[in-house]
Amino acid sequence: MQIIVWIRDSQYGMPIAQSVHLVGLTLLLATVLVLNLRLAGGALKDSPLDWLAQQLRPWMIGGLAVVVLSGALIFVGTPEKYLASNPFRVKMLTLFLAILFQYGMLRRFAAPDSAPRSRAVRLMVAALSLTLWFTVGWAGRAIAFIP
Amino acid sequence: MSLAEWFQWLEQTPASTAIAESIWLFPLLEGSHILALPLSVGMIVMFDLHLLGLTLAGSRAATVMTEMLRWSKIGFAVMFITGGLLLMCHAGRAYGNPFFRAKMIFLLVLGINAAVYQVVFFPKMPQWTAGRTPAGARFCAVLSLIVWIGVIVCGRTMAYQF
Repeated sequence: MQIIVWIRDSQYGMPIAQSVHLVGLTLLLATVLVLNLRLAGGALKDSPLDWLAQQLRPWMIGGLAVVVLSGALIFVGTPEKYLASNPFRVKMLTLFLAILFQYGMLRRFAAPDSAPRSRAVRLMVAALSLTLWFTVGWAGRAIAFIP
Repeated sequence: MSLAEWFQWLEQTPASTAIAESIWLFPLLEGSHILALPLSVGMIVMFDLHLLGLTLAGSRAATVMTEMLRWSKIGFAVMFITGGLLLMCHAGRAYGNPFFRAKMIFLLVLGINAAVYQVVFFPKMPQWTAGRTPAGARFCAVLSLIVWIGVIVCGRTMAYQF
């Protein structure tokens, strides 16, 4: 597992691993944004939600794979640092909730046989989903600043 | 005053030191700068991927462009404001930093790429058949994807050197 040591100890290991993490974040949260903006009625109104979800799925899963893999490689270099960090705990909890919520939302709102929902419900679901995902991001950033 | 001296001066203005020394303002700016990535760059990435036929297949490119760029502009407004304030705090150190310089050159390349697209390809977009992007526009999309990754890598790496 030389790559873990390289990330932890070499001059450019951590910056590169963090950069890959951010590229994955950009891709993952871009698909989450497009999906939730569509749900809230703020973008691509002419595209059916189930079709949009299906088109975005590979990039959403790809982005998630990149953040989880790069995040895991960063984590195992200094696990004690992250296990002792409060923002890290918040990040893992909200990540779990965000994935669960996103999955449930896609099943109930973006299936081909989904019933039409009121605008208020769609706005609330989109807002809650985005809040969860961006809390993951903020908690991640906070690891560097808050014990 | 040379550009280097001006950057030095900028780092020492009372506003710069106030931000740099603030316990919460600096992390808030840095976090906002990073988390505006999906809205600014992310929406551009979705459009680039669409031009390459890799997502939203069957949609009209002109529609995807309008819908994505509307949100992207808000993201870039956040990027330029937070980025400008962050740069103020580190201007003197950023000036000679190779990653900062590379990031600025990459952003210039992306600006030129977007301008070329706007002039050469944008006016013809309504006539495109859905899913059939001309080779030149595909080139712009590939360039954009690669150089945006470069911007993210340089931006993240320069932060480790201050």
